[in-house]
Amino acid sequence: MAEEQVEITLLETLDHLLDRGVVIAGEATISIGDVDLLYLGLNIVLANVDAMIRTGKR
Amino acid sequence: MKTVIVGVHLQREDIGTLAEVVPASGLFLSGVLVGEEQPLGDRALLLRVAEVRSRLLDRATFIAVRYGFTVRGPDEAAAKCAEPAAAWRALLQRHRDDVEMTLKAAAAAPARRPDRTEFAAGADYLRALHAAASTIDVDPSFRSAAERELVPLATRFRWLRETTALELALLVPRGRVEDVNAAGERLRKAFASVPFLLSGPWPLEVFTHDDHE
Repeated sequence: MAEEQVEITLLETLDHLLDRGVVIAGEATISIGDVDLLYLGLNIVLANVDAMIRTGKR
Repeated sequence: MKTVIVGVHLQREDIGTLAEVVPASGLFLSGVLVGEEQPLGDRALLLRVAEVRSRLLDRATFIAVRYGFTVRGPDEAAAKCAEPAAAWRALLQRHRDDVEMTLKAAAAAPARRPDRTEFAAGADYLRALHAAASTIDVDPSFRSAAERELVPLATRFRWLRETTALELALLVPRGRVEDVNAAGERLRKAFASVPFLLSGPWPLEVFTHDDHE
């Protein structure tokens, strides 16, 4: 698998991990400071991947 | 010590030795045991949980728990899972042989994502986020073709809107995963100018509530 594809697959996996699935007993992931910061960072990377896809490099 | 929960499983054997097992209200939670002071935002931990999640799905279908939920022992797990346990059991029994797959297509014109710092109240921010996402769409012919190719292979489907993408979530029998991938390749050839990402299989993530069905 190409390095670019591995990176996109990893980002998609992390996106699902952080943003999908049941939330138990009122726990809100977004309120956990370190995860929130990490997720913001991840969004920046994902935005770059989006841009890369849009420009047709993939 | 605390356990970072990965998923909800019907049987203990569905977890095996791939993860910690925490019994809860007749079901079984899988998780990764970490020190009490372990930050959840640690990259190595996040990747470890992602890997465990993937390996668990190879073994059996489970309900994904959003990252960040931790428990300290079976008593806490049982207390927090008591209310939804019956619904989860029914869901796991109904979709024992199903997995989710998603097709995410970049929006033709991405909406501006609202800046969280510009809102004093969380509810206002969520409303603005919803309003921004509601305008998102992709090439209508692509959307029709995606439904024509993929929906017949799925037990259930649902379109989801984000601020930069439109996503088709599919609930698919495990035996049809390769058919979905083949349909994705046909779409890629037919719509070379539409960037999209077909991914999965995933555990039960989107189709976890009755109101989605």
